[in-house]
Amino acid sequence: MKKISLAQLKPDHKGKVSDIVGGGNLRSKLMHMGVYKGTEITKLSHIGLRGPVVIKSGRSILALGHGVAAKVILETE
Amino acid sequence: MIRKIYLIGNPNVGKSVIFSRLTGVQVISSNYPGTTVELSKGHLLLGNDKIEVVDLPGTYSLEPTSSAEEAAVSLLSEFPKNEMVVINIVDSTNLERNLSLTLQLLEKGFPVITCLNMCDDASHKGVHIDTKKLEEILQAPVISTCAVTGAGIKLLIERIHEAVPVSRGKLSHEERWKEIGRIIEQVQRLEHRHHTLREMLEDASVRPLTGLVMAAGIIYASFKIVRFVGEFIINRITDPIFINLYQPVLEKMTAHWQEKGFWFHLLIGDLINGRIDFKQSLGVLTTAPYIEFGMVLPYVIAFYFILSLLEDIGYLPRLAILLDNLMHTLGLHGFAVIPILLGFGCNVPGILATRVLESKRERFIASTLISIGVPCVPLQAMIFGLLGKYGGFYVAGVYLVLFSLVLILGVIMNKTVSGYSPEFLLEIPPYRFPPIPTLAKKLYFRIKGFLIEAVPVVMLGVLFVNILIYFRLFDFVTSLSAPIIHGLFGLPKEAVVALVIGFIRKDVAVGMLMPLGLSVEQLFIAATLLAISFPCIATFVVIWKELGFVNLIKSTLIMVVISIIMGTMLHFVILK
Repeated sequence: MKKISLAQLKPDHKGKVSDIVGGGNLRSKLMHMGVYKGTEITKLSHIGLRGPVVIKSGRSILALGHGVAAKVILETE
Repeated sequence: MIRKIYLIGNPNVGKSVIFSRLTGVQVISSNYPGTTVELSKGHLLLGNDKIEVVDLPGTYSLEPTSSAEEAAVSLLSEFPKNEMVVINIVDSTNLERNLSLTLQLLEKGFPVITCLNMCDDASHKGVHIDTKKLEEILQAPVISTCAVTGAGIKLLIERIHEAVPVSRGKLSHEERWKEIGRIIEQVQRLEHRHHTLREMLEDASVRPLTGLVMAAGIIYASFKIVRFVGEFIINRITDPIFINLYQPVLEKMTAHWQEKGFWFHLLIGDLINGRIDFKQSLGVLTTAPYIEFGMVLPYVIAFYFILSLLEDIGYLPRLAILLDNLMHTLGLHGFAVIPILLGFGCNVPGILATRVLESKRERFIASTLISIGVPCVPLQAMIFGLLGKYGGFYVAGVYLVLFSLVLILGVIMNKTVSGYSPEFLLEIPPYRFPPIPTLAKKLYFRIKGFLIEAVPVVMLGVLFVNILIYFRLFDFVTSLSAPIIHGLFGLPKEAVVALVIGFIRKDVAVGMLMPLGLSVEQLFIAATLLAISFPCIATFVVIWKELGFVNLIKSTLIMVVISIIMGTMLHFVILK
């Protein structure tokens, strides 16, 4: 088990949210979109080097800017 | 006694479609979050009572995290709870996430009726929801609807009065998500489905390589289709009507008029080789209707057909992801692509749509870029009409100049405008294939909007200009501005009339250039300048309203400086 940020996770890999290091606003925004501590997410793609990240969480597909993705810390195998 | 009905729900669950169904008020709805940036209000007749229905912008929670959400939430608390009903619209294909808002509404003591919308889509995807069971658990009415086809709406209206406040304990976020997990287990059954072609396309369009290939293909095809449809309507429908039907009638009716008289000048304009020339006569009954119906309208139809199709399918948010990197260099993020694309139809809805951008800085940058570098359909149609016959080179040239300008200006504004640009956080909708009647209705609605706004202004604009020209009132302006227009831009000094008219409407302005006998290079410069310079009055007013007077002045100054620099540069590069 290791911890990496969503930005570092490779596409088509899964992870479990262990922390969101950001302001309360970001945390509550993600929370209401269904991404919070313990949520299992799959990274679908990453556009370019510093581009946005697309994830699947539950039944929703979400796009996160690179900066946001860097703040989502995941536990992965 | 119910006096008000609020529609609330997560972004992109179909609130606006339900709203249209309930009130008969047509509002634009699309398949991406944040289509509704303005409050829409309408009325529903319930028994003998006329009740106001308010369509709130989409929100994920009652603890607002953006200004659009804040607006929605503050409106809800304005009205006494016993005199209103909240219709909570839920996306059945994503019940889990949507229930968070439903529970919050119930906890706060609102009388809620829940609409499980897009039920057809859900069963298509193998999602089955036990409505009865959910109703029991929530202790509030739940109705399954499909707003696009109208299924379930009647039942919804019948049961509105059943919505009453229930007592539910307040939960913390964690508790609420746990509770939702329990509810989902009881009411939702998922059927395993194999990957469909639709899902494969959804997936491919957000991956870097396949996504870019698809984007390039879609953009190229859109251009081609707009041109093809536009030219088809012009060559097969509008031109034959104008030339074979309208012109002979008009010529017969005015044959006995005195050619140099005031009314003839006003209504018909100048005869070219003894006949009416719709492109050059400049009369209220000749060139004015020809510009709007014979040159602009065909492209407006073609453009909005494609835009509406892409909107409803749900492609635009995917384009936003792919272009996020590029938009960052302009101080914006990917979602700004959507206001910009809308701006290609008309700058006004484009600038209104910048409300989905959170910070003032982003809105200022996006609005300025739209008003300077994004030509609206009427203007583009006229540029095609004017420059098209000299080959694609000049038309492409105008776009190239505008595109480079947007890039340079964006980079400069990104470096200099103070404030912040937040990051991208967006839900990507699934692809949906809109029923043809829905699409046709939206297209009709937009074209009607265009005609209502454009036709009177064009007629009055041409009338006004003709009066000014007849009484030689323009001569003063013309000679005053000659050093700039002729000296710097290399245009005949009469072209100033067109630039001034550009403030009223861009398409008429380009029309004013037609009789001047400009060389193709001069036409190119004038058309580009018209695109860059002052936005039309409607855009001007909307920037003022949206961004305030100070920003309007800033934006305008940027515009004036750039117009002069660009006009001069193009003049010296091309003509010399």
